[in-house]
Amino acid sequence: MDWLVAIPALPVVAFVALVFMPRAVRNKALWLPVGAISISTVLSIVAFFQMHPAEEGVTEALWNRSWALATINGKAFELGLQYDAIAAILLVVVTVVATCVQVYSLGYMHRDEREGWYFAVLSLFTAAMLALVLADNLLLLFVAWELMGLCSYLLIGFWYELEAPRKASQKAFLTTRVGDMGLMFALVVIFQQCGTWELAEVLGSVHTWTPPVAMAAAIGLLFGAMGKSAQVPLHVWLPDAMAGPTPASALIHAATMVAAGVYLLTRMLPVLEAAPPVLFATLVIGAITGLVGGLLAAVQHDVKKVLAYSTISQLGLMFMAIGSASVVATLFHLVTHAFFKSLLFLGAGVIIHSARTQDMREMGGLRKHMPVTWATFAIGSLALAGVIPFSGFFSKDEIIASLMHAHQTWAVGVVLAVSMLTAFYMTRLYFRVFEGPEQTEGIHDGHKSMLFPMVVLAAITCVIGFASPSFAGFLGEHGEWPSVQLIALSTTVAALGIGTGWWFYGRPWIVVNTAVYKERSAWLYNALKQKLYFDIAYDAIFIKPFMRVADFLWGFDSRVVDGAVNGTARGFVLFASASQLFDKNVIDGIVNGIASLSKNVGSGLRSLQTGRIQSYQRFILAAVVLLMLFLVVKGA
Amino acid sequence: MRVGVEPFLMLAAVLFSLGLYGALSKKATVQLLMSLELMSIAVNINLVALSRFVTPQTMEGLFFAIFTMVVSAAEIGLGLGLVLAIYRQARTSEVTNLTELKG
Repeated sequence: MDWLVAIPALPVVAFVALVFMPRAVRNKALWLPVGAISISTVLSIVAFFQMHPAEEGVTEALWNRSWALATINGKAFELGLQYDAIAAILLVVVTVVATCVQVYSLGYMHRDEREGWYFAVLSLFTAAMLALVLADNLLLLFVAWELMGLCSYLLIGFWYELEAPRKASQKAFLTTRVGDMGLMFALVVIFQQCGTWELAEVLGSVHTWTPPVAMAAAIGLLFGAMGKSAQVPLHVWLPDAMAGPTPASALIHAATMVAAGVYLLTRMLPVLEAAPPVLFATLVIGAITGLVGGLLAAVQHDVKKVLAYSTISQLGLMFMAIGSASVVATLFHLVTHAFFKSLLFLGAGVIIHSARTQDMREMGGLRKHMPVTWATFAIGSLALAGVIPFSGFFSKDEIIASLMHAHQTWAVGVVLAVSMLTAFYMTRLYFRVFEGPEQTEGIHDGHKSMLFPMVVLAAITCVIGFASPSFAGFLGEHGEWPSVQLIALSTTVAALGIGTGWWFYGRPWIVVNTAVYKERSAWLYNALKQKLYFDIAYDAIFIKPFMRVADFLWGFDSRVVDGAVNGTARGFVLFASASQLFDKNVIDGIVNGIASLSKNVGSGLRSLQTGRIQSYQRFILAAVVLLMLFLVVKGA
Repeated sequence: MRVGVEPFLMLAAVLFSLGLYGALSKKATVQLLMSLELMSIAVNINLVALSRFVTPQTMEGLFFAIFTMVVSAAEIGLGLGLVLAIYRQARTSEVTNLTELKG
C-alpha cells in the first residue's frame, strides 16, 4: 500500500509547483491544487474501504513505511508514515473537507489578485494535516504541526494590506507558539524516557514510565493541544482568525489546525491515562472552554465570530470526551463537527459575500433569496444544535454516554448546558439572518461552484450520524445506539435552547427589546462583551510589559550599543585624521625635504658649472696640488 | 764641468709653470694652445733628462718624448681646427666667451 504516500504528497507537489510559477500563470493554474486534492480524496476513500473490514484494534497499523534519514550513535534515525483506523477516518474527513473548501474557493476567491498563492497555501495546509495524521513518529508530527501553524498564519493574514488580518495572524501564530512550547517540552521528555520518537514504541512503553515522567509528558502534550485547539486560556487567537478568507476559516475550524490538537491527544491518550490528574485537567479545561465559548458566542453580532466561538465551545466538548478517555466519542465529534462546521462557514461565506456585511443585525429575510444556502445552513445549524437525526446529535450523545461511563456526572451537566447554549445561539443566528424583515437589497444565492460543496457537506451531515455504532466498531470498540432516555434528555435540552432563542428572536408578531435584558444582567453582558477580559488581561500582563521591555531594550540599543558603535567610528575618524596629519607633516615632510635638499644642493652646485674651461682647469690644479700635498704629508 | 740633472728639471719646472699660468689666465684660444704646448715641452725635457741621467742604458724616456711630440703635433692640428670651427660659429675665439656648457 505504498501508494498511500501520494495522499499527503500530491498537495505538496501542487504547492511546490505553484510556488515556482509567476503570479499570472499561478492564478490560471488552479486546476492543479484542486486536482491534486481530489486525487488525494479518491485515494483516501479507496484506502478507507481497504481498511473497512479490518479486525485490528486502534493501535495496530495496517501499513507502515519508514525511511532512514541518518544514523545517530549507531541507531538509525527514521521518519515514516503509518496507516491505521484513526488515520483512515481522519484522512477521509480532511481530504473531503479540503476538497469542498477548495472547490468553494474557486468561486469565493475568484479574481483575487493573489488567488494562486491562496490555493498554494491551502494545499500545503492540507498536506501538513495529512502528514500529521499519517506520521508514525512524533518528530514528523511536530514538523507537520509547525507547518500548519505557518500556513494558518499565512491564511489568516492573507489580506495583509489590512490592519486587522495582519494583527490577527500574528496573534494566532504567537498564541499557538505558546502552546507549541508545551509540545516541544513533551517531545524532550519522551525522548529522554524512550530514546525514540516512534509512536508505536513510545505508546508501547508508557506503562513502564514513572508517574513524574508521565505527568510531565502529559502536561506538555495537553498544553500543546490547548494552543492548537484553542482551549481557554489560549483560545484568544481563534475569534480574531476570522479576519482571513472565509473558506480558509472553514478549513482551519474543521479539518485542519484545531483538529490537530484533538488528534494529538487522541493519539497520545495512553500517556494522559498514565497521568490521571492531567486527564482530569483535560476534562475541566474542556468544560470551561465549552461554557466560555458558548456564552461568548451568544453575545456576538458578527456571523463569523458566532461560529468561531461555537468552534471553541465544540472543541471544549471534544476535550471533555478526551477527559473521559474515550477515543470514539472524541473522534466522532471531531468528524461530525468537521463536516457541519465547514458547511456553516461556507454558508456564512455566501451570506457575507451577498449581504456585504458580517453584522447579523444588518441582515434579515435572506431565506427567500438564497434557498440553497438557507437549506444547507439550516441543516448545519440543526446538526450543531444537536437535533435528532442530524450528525451533531449522535456525537454529542456519544460524549454524554462516555462521560456517564467515566462517572463524571457534573461534566454531563456541563455538556447539556453547552448544548443548550449552542441551540440558543444558533437559533439566534438563524432568525437574525434568514427570518425577519429584509434589510438589504440585491441579495442572491452563491455561484454553483460555491453551492455544490455545501450541498455535499450537508448531505454528509444528514447521514453520517447514523454511522455512530459502526464508527465505534471501526475503531475496535463496541458501539451502540443512544438510549431512549438520553435521546429524550438531549432533545429536551436542544428544544429548550431553540425555544429560548425563538422566544427572543423568532416570534414574528413581536420584536423583543433585548436591551432590557441586557441591562438587567449588565454585569454578565458587559463581561461577555469584553470577551471575559481575556484580551485585556493578556494585554496588561504580557503585551504591555513586553512592550516596556522592548522599549527599554530599544533605548539600551540606541544609547549603549549604537553609542559604542558610533564611538568606535568617531575614534577611528580621530585616529585617521591624526594619521593624516602625521602623513602630511612627517612622511611628506621627509620626502619633500629630501627633494628640496637635493634641489638646493643642485642649484648650489650649479654655480660651479660655469662652462668656462679655465675655471675647471683651476679646480683640477687645486685638486692636483691638494693630492700632492696629501701624498707629501702622508709620505712624511 | 759636468752638468747634473737638476738644471734640466729646473728648466722644465719653469717652462711648465709658465705654460700652466698661460693656460689658466690667457683669454685667446691660440695663446691657450701655445701654453699647453709649453707644458708638454716641459714634460718632454723631463723625460729626456731623466732618461739620460737615471736610466742611460735603456731609451724608454726618449721613445716617450718622440711619442709625446707626435701626439702634441696632432693635438695642435686638431686644436687649431677646433678654434677655426668655433670662430666660424661664434665670431670670436676668446675662451671667456665660450660658456655654452654653463650649468
